[in-house]
Amino acid sequence: MRTYFLQRLLHAIPLLFVLSIVLFLVVRSAPGGPLAQAERNPNITAEQREQLRARLGLDQPLHVQYITWISSVAQGDLGRSIKTNRPVAEMIGERVPNTLLLVGAAFILTVLIAIPLGALSALRQYSWFDYLVTTLSFAGQSVPVYWLGLVAILIFYVWLDNPFTGGPLLPAGGMYTLGAPKTLADLIWHMILPVAVLCSAWVAWYSRFFRASMLETLNADYVRTAIAKGLPRRSVVYSHAGRNAVIPLITMIALDLPSVFAGALFIETIFSWPGMGRLFWEAARGRDYPVLMAIIMINAVLIILANLIADMLYARLDPRVRYE
Amino acid sequence: MHGSIRGCAMSELTLNDAFAPSARKMTEAAPLRVLIWRRFLRHRLAVVAIVMLGLVIASAVLAPLSRYEPTQQNPTNALQPPSLQHWFGTDDLGRDVFTRTLYGGRISLTVGLSATLLSLLIGVIVGMVAGYFGGFVDNALMRITDGFLTLPTLFVLILIATLLREIPALGLTSSVLIVIFVIAVLSWMWPARIVRGEFLRLKHRDFVLAAENIGAGHSRIMSRHILPNTVSLIIVQGTLLVAYAIITESGLSYLGFGVQPPTPSWGNLLATAQAYALRAPWLMIFPGLMIFITSMSINYIGDGLRDAFDPYSAR
Amino acid sequence: MKLNLPNILRRQRTLTATFILLVIAVLALAACGAPAGAPAPGDASAPSQIVVIIPEEPASLNQYHAVAAIVRQVADAVSAPLAAPNAQGEFVPVLAAELPTVANGGVSEDYLTVTWKLRPDLKWSDGEPITSDDIKFTWEAVSNPASGNVLSLGFEKIASIETPDELTAVITYSELNQAYLQQFMYGILPRHATGAPEEMLQWAWNRNPVSGGPYVVTEWNAGESIVMDRNPHYYLEGQPYIDRVIFTIVPDPGAQMAMMAKGEAHVQLWPGEVKEVYDAQMNGMAAIQEIPGQWNMTLFFNLSRPFDNDPGAEPPHPILGDLRVRQAIAHAIDYETIVTAVNPGVIETATPFAYGWYQCDQERKYLYDPETAKALLEEAGWVEGPDGIRVAQGAAYAEDGTRLRVQLNGYTNFQQLVKLEEALAEMFKAVGIETTIQNDDFSIIFGSFDDGAPRQLGNFDILVYDTSLPMEPHASIANTYMSTAIPTADNPAGNNASRWVNARADELIQAAGATVDLDARRAAYCELSDLIATELPRLNLYLFTEGYGASNRLSGYEVNMWGSLSWDIQNWRLD
Repeated sequence: MRTYFLQRLLHAIPLLFVLSIVLFLVVRSAPGGPLAQAERNPNITAEQREQLRARLGLDQPLHVQYITWISSVAQGDLGRSIKTNRPVAEMIGERVPNTLLLVGAAFILTVLIAIPLGALSALRQYSWFDYLVTTLSFAGQSVPVYWLGLVAILIFYVWLDNPFTGGPLLPAGGMYTLGAPKTLADLIWHMILPVAVLCSAWVAWYSRFFRASMLETLNADYVRTAIAKGLPRRSVVYSHAGRNAVIPLITMIALDLPSVFAGALFIETIFSWPGMGRLFWEAARGRDYPVLMAIIMINAVLIILANLIADMLYARLDPRVRYE
Repeated sequence: MHGSIRGCAMSELTLNDAFAPSARKMTEAAPLRVLIWRRFLRHRLAVVAIVMLGLVIASAVLAPLSRYEPTQQNPTNALQPPSLQHWFGTDDLGRDVFTRTLYGGRISLTVGLSATLLSLLIGVIVGMVAGYFGGFVDNALMRITDGFLTLPTLFVLILIATLLREIPALGLTSSVLIVIFVIAVLSWMWPARIVRGEFLRLKHRDFVLAAENIGAGHSRIMSRHILPNTVSLIIVQGTLLVAYAIITESGLSYLGFGVQPPTPSWGNLLATAQAYALRAPWLMIFPGLMIFITSMSINYIGDGLRDAFDPYSAR
Repeated sequence: MKLNLPNILRRQRTLTATFILLVIAVLALAACGAPAGAPAPGDASAPSQIVVIIPEEPASLNQYHAVAAIVRQVADAVSAPLAAPNAQGEFVPVLAAELPTVANGGVSEDYLTVTWKLRPDLKWSDGEPITSDDIKFTWEAVSNPASGNVLSLGFEKIASIETPDELTAVITYSELNQAYLQQFMYGILPRHATGAPEEMLQWAWNRNPVSGGPYVVTEWNAGESIVMDRNPHYYLEGQPYIDRVIFTIVPDPGAQMAMMAKGEAHVQLWPGEVKEVYDAQMNGMAAIQEIPGQWNMTLFFNLSRPFDNDPGAEPPHPILGDLRVRQAIAHAIDYETIVTAVNPGVIETATPFAYGWYQCDQERKYLYDPETAKALLEEAGWVEGPDGIRVAQGAAYAEDGTRLRVQLNGYTNFQQLVKLEEALAEMFKAVGIETTIQNDDFSIIFGSFDDGAPRQLGNFDILVYDTSLPMEPHASIANTYMSTAIPTADNPAGNNASRWVNARADELIQAAGATVDLDARRAAYCELSDLIATELPRLNLYLFTEGYGASNRLSGYEVNMWGSLSWDIQNWRLD
């Protein structure tokens, strides 16, 4: 089996190389270009715009541009942004911590809430508790997240006031109160709404998922046998069923980890959170190719790795799964 | 954008694996059909959900009965709150939001269903071939599937839009088609994975070997012998994809890449309403509610189906 | 790997407890009023602070790299121009002691020598003196081919700069630069605090400039906010009045509005909404301050066949190639409804030359009259079909049976544009023209020829967007209306997207380009305007107003269509 995964890891390298070509082509053959803003600026003449294109090397044939790009990436240089002229690595570096903070917190909170929720509603299948959890989780995944975000701002920022200070109950966005010193309390204060909105959708999925896999194992023959043999139900539930039910959950977490890097565009936009999702979106809209390609490729690497890790975990944790 | 869709993708991952285990217990479907239906009817919320969804679909179908046209404007009567004349109020061009919401339902439901069918079609074929043949074919197809997961949504969207625009015959409804294609292209990977898993599992079963022995061809074995055993899974997966597609359509609209105006869809009604949140909250409440009710109903139906297909169901 | 699910489950109770604790902590935070951001009004000792909402982050504060319009909106708060246009469109001295003119000897008779004199005792924000050498350095830096300068200011026309003393810079031009007053309106650069000209794109100064303007950057939180404090060495005594300005990046319009309505933010750049609707949402907390602006909403008709792999003028567009169809479209538009109800508050105009010294009083040639529109379409061979949409029967360029269908093509995320398109679609339908709408990403609509932009390739029916002209418009006019300016593979930057070929127009533009006599130029432009209004390569609809949402606590500002949001930020006051 180890050979299998080593093989997959080796295969990932040519896969990434092919992907880099495909993704470069996809991004570059989509119409639109980075100089659209210049077109809108009355102080920039057509001639100047063409000079700018030449300076950026955008007038070169596509394959030449690809080779230039891939060879500098191979040397560890992600290049400079067309828009800001700053190193791409620096720009990504500024955003990654913010995204890790927001999405990471939401992710951890989600798992912490979803596991007990899912387990309990499986153990008490068709109880009122189960119905409640089911309904809430369906509700969480049945509304567009940007809509929920704006509704949250309307309620907690516009309509509700803080009874002590008279200001809004919760901030509308950003990471810190503008003009105030940056404190941890202030940061948490600003994270409440976006994290809550993110969690509302995720907890739904995760608790449903865990409920289903818990039900599956509870109905499995070995659990029934264990109960039949007279083992205490409690210990059977925890050590037999629970342990097996958590296996698919772990692989799912592994598969979802890349999204912690990719950020959450809608939430970041609604709540003015300076994360990766927005950086990517802005780069995409402005066709800032170096930034764009860097994020896409990092993301591709992470997704492929996550898939590999998920399969590996599955194989390790579930003796029934065999790869050859 | 990637982030957002990953957010949704997260949901997808859930579905597949979540509903795989229970359906695994399924054997031959035909004699069970009646039983399954009975079991489904016992899931009260699912039955309520079917009624709700039926109402939503009926309202979309009967939309032309409204006394307004969806594009009929009256700019001097813009942004009116709900009243007897305009049940859901009017929008920024004085159009009747009730009528537009009904017509929007037509588009959103069409997008939801078509994208799901397309996604299942691609997914099932890929999954079938990969799982059945295994080995190199499986490896290649699954790596392509991985590759699709890395595609940047926005560019897929723009590329498809550009390609489709070169076919002027599509004309009027092309933006709806584009949205359908995009959602399908971005979501077929999940059904593909489940179907592949099921095929890997089932292909060594006795009934497959028996079929091989009497000389059935690959395509016959795949489509006649193994595929029917995965139908329950595919149906459950399909219901959830519909909900996902409707939500995704609204997300695309928010980013400015959804169904083009003046054709209303729930998504673009919501996206337009964002800017009027303070002045005219009803603009965002009603289409949001419709999405909510529809998606909720579909989820419950999926839940009911899952239970119904599950022989261990406690009811 | 050992899993410890039982513990996780047992921790259920602990979790509940944690949750309750969290709630308590949140309440405690609320009680302490952690986000005690802006000091209470009326507290005289507290430093004053305003929050300015911007929808996107400027890439740099170096205006010579300002490709996007957002840069100047922020950068003017830290820039050091010698002279700049005021709200009336007249140049006024800023760091210069006076404007150089022929009368005061600052400009030679042949306009080739211009002498700038600085105000005495000027200092950069780091305390170093601002000298004429900085003027000279600005020329050296910006004219360097590697500087990355994108603005067209004529620095290449400067032959030399002499600095006889600390305050005087004598500029010698090798050829006439009519826009010599604009030369340093984007600020001069400090030699001591920047870097080598060829490295200008990478100067640290670009994001943290040693400032000659009213403010200095104290903090730049990527993607979130730019904090500026007053420049202690600013030349105006006691100004700026507000101690701290925070530019905060809020992309979602709903969130922007909410912050303005709650009074947390004081200025909202580009509200994207007309005054009437905006003010109503603000409940008296804020209002849009507006003046006639320079963005001219226009329909651009494609006179050439789209999707024929030929960006050139021939063959004609099957529908819009016929002047009568364009006239019918012009007659079908209810201009009154558009400017009063669809986009209320905009200012109707019928000419591309709607402001500036070259402004023309253009009458509309084709007024709102659906009956005439229908008659023109009949005459052009478009007869009414069974569903009310016309089909070709003997039309000039379309095969019989072709549906009269056109597509409006605009850009996304601009609600007013969408409203206009939707209203136009209804008006067109009323005369039997079927209309679809396709809004594309900004970078597609305004992309270049090589990027495959439909506008440059000629693959569209009617483009809908707003354009503007600079104070000195000739280069732009020539590149837009000359028959030689049709974008093709050989001339990818051409801007004649309508593919309009008109010999008289070419003559007029060439005549205007050959003279320095402003009256003669204006006469030529106005005849061109008349020709455009008649031949309809484009149809001008209205001017947007220029402005921003401003809190009712803010005063002292003046909206300037030639300047930026922050052009007069040193005069702003917060009550």
